Order: sequence, then structure tokens, then C-alpha cells
Amino acid sequence: MTTTTTPGAIPATDAARRLKAGRSMLLAEGFAQPATEFIRAHAGLIDEYLRESYQESLTGPAIDFISNPYAMIALGGYGRQEQCLHSDVDLLFLFQKKVPDLAEGLIREMVYPLWDLGLEVGYATRSMGECLSLSRKDFEVLTSILDARFICGASLLFSELTQKLRRKILSRQSNRVVNWLVDRNLARHRQHGDSSYLLEPNLKEGQGGLRDYHTILWIGKIKYDFHNRRDLEFNGLFSYEEYLKFSQATEFIWNVRNHLHRLTGRKCDQVYLEHQIKLSADMGYTRQNGLRPVENFLGELHQNMERIKEQHLMFLHEFGPAKRILPGRRPPLKTRYAGLNADQRALAFESAEQIVAEPILLMRIFEESARLKIPLGSEAKRLVKEFSHLVNDDFRSDPKVVKSFERILSVPAPVFNALNAMLQTGFLACFIPEFAAIVNRIQYNEYHIYPVGRHALRTVQIIKQLGLAKADDPEFDPLYRDLYKSLPSRKRLLWAGLLHDIGKGIPGDDHCTAGAALADTILTRMGLAAKDIKIIRAMVAQHLDLIKTATRRDLSDEETAIVCARRVGTLERLQVLYLLTVADSRATGPKAWNEWNASILRELFIKVHNILKTGELTHPKALQKVRQKKETLLAAYAGSPREAMAGELIQAMSPRYMMATTVDQMQGHIALFERMGEGAYAWEIENGIHTNTRTVTICAKDRPGLFAKLAGVFTLNGVNILDAQVFTWRNRIALDIFHVEPPPDPVFEKERWQRAQQHLSAALAGELDLKSAVTAKRAGNGNRPRRAPGAPDDPLSEVRIDNTSSSFFTILEVISDDYPGLLFDVTTSIYEMNLDIWVAKITTSVDQVMDVFYIRDLHDQKIIDSGQTAAIKETLLEILPPG
Amino acid sequence: MKKIEAIIKPFKLDDVKEALNEIGIQGMTITEVKGYGRQKGHKEIYRGAEYIVDFIPKLKIEIVVGEDRAREVMDKIREAANTGKIGDGKIFLLPVEEAVRVRTGETGADAI
Repeated sequence: MTTTTTPGAIPATDAARRLKAGRSMLLAEGFAQPATEFIRAHAGLIDEYLRESYQESLTGPAIDFISNPYAMIALGGYGRQEQCLHSDVDLLFLFQKKVPDLAEGLIREMVYPLWDLGLEVGYATRSMGECLSLSRKDFEVLTSILDARFICGASLLFSELTQKLRRKILSRQSNRVVNWLVDRNLARHRQHGDSSYLLEPNLKEGQGGLRDYHTILWIGKIKYDFHNRRDLEFNGLFSYEEYLKFSQATEFIWNVRNHLHRLTGRKCDQVYLEHQIKLSADMGYTRQNGLRPVENFLGELHQNMERIKEQHLMFLHEFGPAKRILPGRRPPLKTRYAGLNADQRALAFESAEQIVAEPILLMRIFEESARLKIPLGSEAKRLVKEFSHLVNDDFRSDPKVVKSFERILSVPAPVFNALNAMLQTGFLACFIPEFAAIVNRIQYNEYHIYPVGRHALRTVQIIKQLGLAKADDPEFDPLYRDLYKSLPSRKRLLWAGLLHDIGKGIPGDDHCTAGAALADTILTRMGLAAKDIKIIRAMVAQHLDLIKTATRRDLSDEETAIVCARRVGTLERLQVLYLLTVADSRATGPKAWNEWNASILRELFIKVHNILKTGELTHPKALQKVRQKKETLLAAYAGSPREAMAGELIQAMSPRYMMATTVDQMQGHIALFERMGEGAYAWEIENGIHTNTRTVTICAKDRPGLFAKLAGVFTLNGVNILDAQVFTWRNRIALDIFHVEPPPDPVFEKERWQRAQQHLSAALAGELDLKSAVTAKRAGNGNRPRRAPGAPDDPLSEVRIDNTSSSFFTILEVISDDYPGLLFDVTTSIYEMNLDIWVAKITTSVDQVMDVFYIRDLHDQKIIDSGQTAAIKETLLEILPPG
Repeated sequence: MKKIEAIIKPFKLDDVKEALNEIGIQGMTITEVKGYGRQKGHKEIYRGAEYIVDFIPKLKIEIVVGEDRAREVMDKIREAANTGKIGDGKIFLLPVEEAVRVRTGETGADAI
């Protein structure tokens, strides 16, 4: 129990002592009694104190009561008898005439002991005239007097105040005051966020908080001269049930507030994260429905605040500010469907009987609400709730109903959201029963701010906003807008947005997979096309993939993008998934989405997009083949002692290699790898397809310039390269396959190859300078490019650099006439420019050579600097024929 | 007491965390940052539009340990965060004058 006195201080007067004892007793009961009774009793204790201390006061009698009567009046929450544990005590000392000097002494006598007890007291001392003139100017003062309650002193004065207030001020300015209240509300809501779902709700100031209730009461008092809240029901503004629910909601919030005050030992309205667990324990919540106590507590709090918010919005809408008169009358709104009416303000059913006759009207009214952008009236909402039982399986699978719902789903709703109304009235959970499980499910962490059901609707709303944002909107990004506009079917994306977290209602860890199955059930029931269902299902199952990959995988590794591209499958799916990820993150809360995440996600998106676009690595048939190859290959080693080694190696094999190579060849390469062991390389020479060609396969530890050295060795030994493919595995092993013409001496071929091998070992060890050796050999041969007869005299060589097709490599294409040693010259040049060859494909046809190199610089980056690329081109063109 | 500040690639966080857990380091602070060094930014091209990334997303890890453990922790981070490719990051060592535990008021070695 918290102490409210300064340590050691003894309440000065008997009255103060009694108040202290009274409060202790009240607190000792530990909030067992209903909150409304507590706050009333608490106010009563303070009333008693004030009356007693006035009676016992020494200064009181000294003030001339006859000529200048005065009264003590309670204001604000205290006036309403809603005094929470540590709430302020607001007092007004009202004098008929000018406030006498002695008044200060009286107040000191009465109020100081309250401060000593730890209560926060605010008081005003005014004359009647001051009071009224202030109220005219300052509506804050006015509204506090609306809650005024007489405590002691001259009661006639109190009556005079309230009467004059009504006659002189309220009767003339009621609209102005109400408008002021409404504007202040808007500002307040904007500042404190929609508490009915923020993770640290503000019990007083947030939307759905106590201030909303106060506003309703004040408007009632201003416009309809209510005296207490019961009048809301008595005068028909609230139905019996509405008032009941409303009272229960305020009761709950006062209870939470009292507990919070006790926990923090002071006036506190915001349910901070660090208090939430203790609060839920204090209030007796337990683990239920697979939810922790704190999650149950927050769920109930949100529900109650939601109720107040809803009531408040409806109240304002129907009984609130005077409609501002527009120039010229607006034409009456027409609804599309018979049975529904619309005036300027709200939609209504023509009659309850029509709903029974045509249950589809229940959906249609929301459709019209979305289309016309006006809310449902309170009567219409009541009817929706009442007739929700008409929603049966036939209704849920009726194609007209489904179409109507889809229209609601796709209508842009930048401010007013018909889906929200569907959620609140419970109709959405009736139409999609699977939704019921996630409606108020809270995710207790700092990451998620909205309950799951609300989050789904927010996701849908944000998706639509992505496509509509204008250039001056801070959330605008042309990439999202263009993607959204280019989608062939937005419906799929919207459904995915609505259902992506539906699996969270099912206990278990993997809500993505669970959700996909549920989505399938729901959409099949609704009769969507199989193709649509397939895609939406996949979206739900994969809706976390992109962000997971982007934050947990190395984005500079091509393999990451390839694996992701394969899982996603098509360009359209990627686009939908990307937009879904963006909207989902934004709808989760500020910690889930910021510029850091946005940029990392975009990088992945673009990389995957480019891979899917070129399609070379992700064509479905190719993927299937690769998968089969992997399986066959792994099976070949199953059970053998080499299984582990082979398994590791197969994982390291690059995607391009796997597409281009057969299983038999791969097995041969694995054997070659084993043969290499600790050495620098191993090679295998076999007869090629034609009798006069050979296939030389080399497995070597990759290093810059390897390819150049290989080319050099071949040139040195007179081996003409016809074709070559270079692969680099992920464990930095190079796998090069050359198709060559054999060395010029067929008789001593074996010896020639052995000599070539010695050359290669020497070159790799740095003992042989290939460049000089090749130059020397050339000089001896008097070489120059051989040309086919009839070829043009000065052929043009071409060097192209492509930096757009791949996100990971710069693609260098060299086209030229062939000559012995061309490849060596080109690759040496590349090496000397400090570039690294990762993949290469060399082809010759007749005497023309087409070399494609996938290169990166020594920092593993693409070469994007235009100066550098120009230099590469120039250097290569110089060494190519002619010249 | 020493403070270790490490800039690493985002996807290496789990590896670093595990590695530090193995040697008994239980606490750290993580910030999402952006930066560049010799790994300059790069350009992404999407449908002809260029997206220039000047600052590359990284993660910053901050840990305060006793002086006797500083070297060990730095080595462990380096080992776990290393990929061998450019952009792996950097680790810095700074002196710490004082440390206080908010809950209890303990200072010095008892606070870290």
C-alpha cells in the first residue's frame, strides 16, 4: 500500500485525521467493491472532510457571510463524484461579491491539510461576476462548472450560478461550445493516438478514454440540460443496452485507473508497458485461451475502450455539433439498392422486415457505406448486430454477397473505413468465422501495437494507400505506387492483406502455414477462382519470407536472391509479396518499419526481381531438372563413406553449374575434386564428342588470374581452345571445362599433355612467366590472326559491358576474330585490370569468338564507375584485332 | 572497463550473439545504422530506374566488459562476423570511466 502522507507528518485537524483514516479503510478493501462505488465513496469522504473542516474552521466565521455569502463547490471529476484514488480535487470558492482578503486564510486552513495528505488540490476563488465572465470567454472554465456540485456554504449561490450559466451563456452559445468541444476532441485524439488499440493506452486522453465519456456528458448537459449521466438513457439518447454496455465500460476503466494509481502511487493515466504485467496480476487475470494474463487484460481493456470510442463517435455524429450550413443544399444521396436509405449523415435500413426478406442487405449497407463514404447510423448498426444470426453457410458462399464484400475490400478508404465498422459490429466475424479468433488477440511486445484483427484491416487500408499516395504525402514512394498500379489483379493482394495473419488465432508456432490452410478454406467457401486461391494461399504462407531473407541473409551473395526467387516463383507473385510485406510492416507499428528496413527490403526486391526477369536461373522446368539432379546425385553417394563430403560439395555447387551439367559429369567432377585434395588443381583429359577434340576438365582452387594462366598454358602448348565454360563454386573452387583441339603432335599427345601439366604447375607456383613465354612463342611463329578467306579486311572487334542484367556481376562481352592466344590475351588483360572472373562462356564459330565473362572487382563489387568501364573497353579493344 | 563497438553486416547478428553467449557474455545493445567504408554504396537498377544506395544498412553492437575480457570478446566478434568479403565491418575499443546499474545503484564491475 502506498503512503500518501509526508513521512512523520500528523494530520493537523480532526477532520483531516478522519479523512486519512477513511481513505485507508477504503483502500484496505482493495478495490473489491465496484469501481463506481469506490469513486463515489471516495468523493463522499472528501465532502465530509470539507464540511467538517469548514465547521471547525477559525477563519470561516470571521468572514462576513451575510453581506458576502460564499459557497464551496466541487468541480470536474470530483464534482461528478468520480474521484479516483490519486485524482485531483478541484474546488471552487464562490463569493457573491468581490473576494475578501480573509478568504485566503480560510482556504489555507481547509486546503493545506489536503496537500499534507498527499492529495493534489486545485482551487479557484472567484466572485459570481468573475465566474460568469470567465466562463463566457474560456470554455475550459465553462465545462468544469458544468460538473459543479454544491458541498457547503450558501446553496442559493450555487443555484444562482448554474441558472445564470444556463440562461446567460449556454442558451445563447450552446453550438459554439459544442463545436469547440468537438474540435478539441479531434486535436486530443490526434495527439494521443487511437487508444483503443495503442499498446500503452491513455485511459483519459486517448480515443476511447474517459475524456470521450466526459465530452458526451458535457454535450448532453449543454444541449439537453442533463443533470447526470443516467439522463443519457432516460432521454432516449442511448438505448437501454447501449447505456448498460457504456456503464460497464467506464466502470472497467475506472477500475484499471484505480489500480494504476495505487501501483504508481500517483495520478497516472497512461498504462505504460512496465506496469502492464503487474496490473494484470493485481486485477486477477490468469492464463486463458492460450493467452498470457497480460494479453487477456489488454484485450479486455481495448474492448472496453473500443466501446466508449464507438459510442462517442456515434453520439457526436447524431447529437453533436450543429451541421454547418453549406452554400446551396446538397442533393440527397441515393443508394444503389432498394431497402437502404441515406441522408447526408448516415445509412439506414428501410425496415427490419426487409432485412429478413433480403439478408444480403446486411452486406450491401456496408458496401454503400464504403462507396458513399458515410457511416452507418446507430439504428442501422443495432439492426446489423440483431440480425447477424441470418448469416449462415448459404449466405457466406452466395456469389452476390462475396462480390459485394470484394467491392468493400477494394474501395479506397483513406480516412473512413467501412471494414472497421464491419469489425466493430461483429458482422465481419460472422461472415468470416475464422476471423473471430483474431479479432482482439493482442501480441504482447513492443513490436506490435495493434491487436491482430485491427492489424489485418489496417494492412488492407495501407495497401490501398500505397497505390494512391500523392507526391506531397510523406509516405509517398513512386516505387510502391507504380507497382500497385501495374498489378494485373489487385484483388489478390487485398485478400492476402486481409487474411495474412488469420493463422494467429490458432495456437501453435507457425501462423504462416496455418493461415494458408485457413485462407484456402475461406476462399473456397466463397467460390473464388482456383488460380486466385492458389496465389493468395502462397502469399499468406510466404508473407514473412522477404523480410526474413533481407535481414538474415547475405544480400551480396547471388545465391540468396536465387533461392528467394525460386521460392517466390514469378514476377507477379514477387510484386504482390513485396507490397504485402511493406503494408504488413507499416501496419504493425513504428518499430517494424523504418527507413533502415525499407532500404534493405528494397535491395532484396530489386535483386530478386532482376533474377526472375532474366529467368535464366529460375525457369520452372530448369528448376525441376536441377532438383532432380541434386536428388539423383545425393542418392548415388548414399551409404558410401564419401557421403558427407559429397553432400557438402553438392551444397556448394553454384546454380549455373548445376543447370549446365549432367549428373554423370558432376560425379566425375566430384571425383576430380577428391583427386585434387590439398593440391592446387587436378585435371582430366578425355576425348571429346568429335574424334578431333578433347575435353579438359580442371578443378582448381580459385584465385585471380587462374583462368588466364590456364589459357596461357594451352596457348603455349599449341592447344586451340574451341569452347570453354568456367564455373566458380561457393567454396571458391573453380570448375573449368574446355573443349579443345589436341596438341599438334598426335603421336606424342600424352607427353604433350604431361608437359602442359608441368607448365601449369609451374605457372601456378609462380615459377613460369606465361606472358613472356607466350610472346616468345608468338614471335617464333610469326603469328597474326588468321582469317578465313573472304573475310573483310579490317574486322571490327566489339567489347560490351552490361551492368543491368545482373545485380551481382558486371557482364563483359567480347566479340572478335579468333587467333591463337586470343583468350590468353583477353583474360590476362582482365586480370591485370584487377578484375575477377566468376563465370565465363567462350564459344567459337568458324573463326569468330564470343566470350562472355561475369566479372567483379577485387572487392567483390560490380564495376559501375563509367570511367572504369570505359578504361576496360579501351584496354581490351587495343589488344584485339585489328591492331 | 572497456566498451566494444562493432559494426557488422545485419545478417551476422545471430552468429555473433551465439558466439558471445558461448563465452558467457549475456548483454549487448544493438542499433540499426547505415554507413560505408571502402565498400562504397552501389546502384540498383529496376526497370531502368536507378536506386542509389549511398549508405549501406549495418548493425552496431555495443558491449561493456571488464578490461581482462576485452580482447577475447573482440576476437570472438571478429570470428563470428567475418565473411571474407568487403563490408564485413570494424570493431573499436574504447575506455569506460564509470558504469551504474539503474535498479540497484551498484557501480563499477558490479554494474556490468
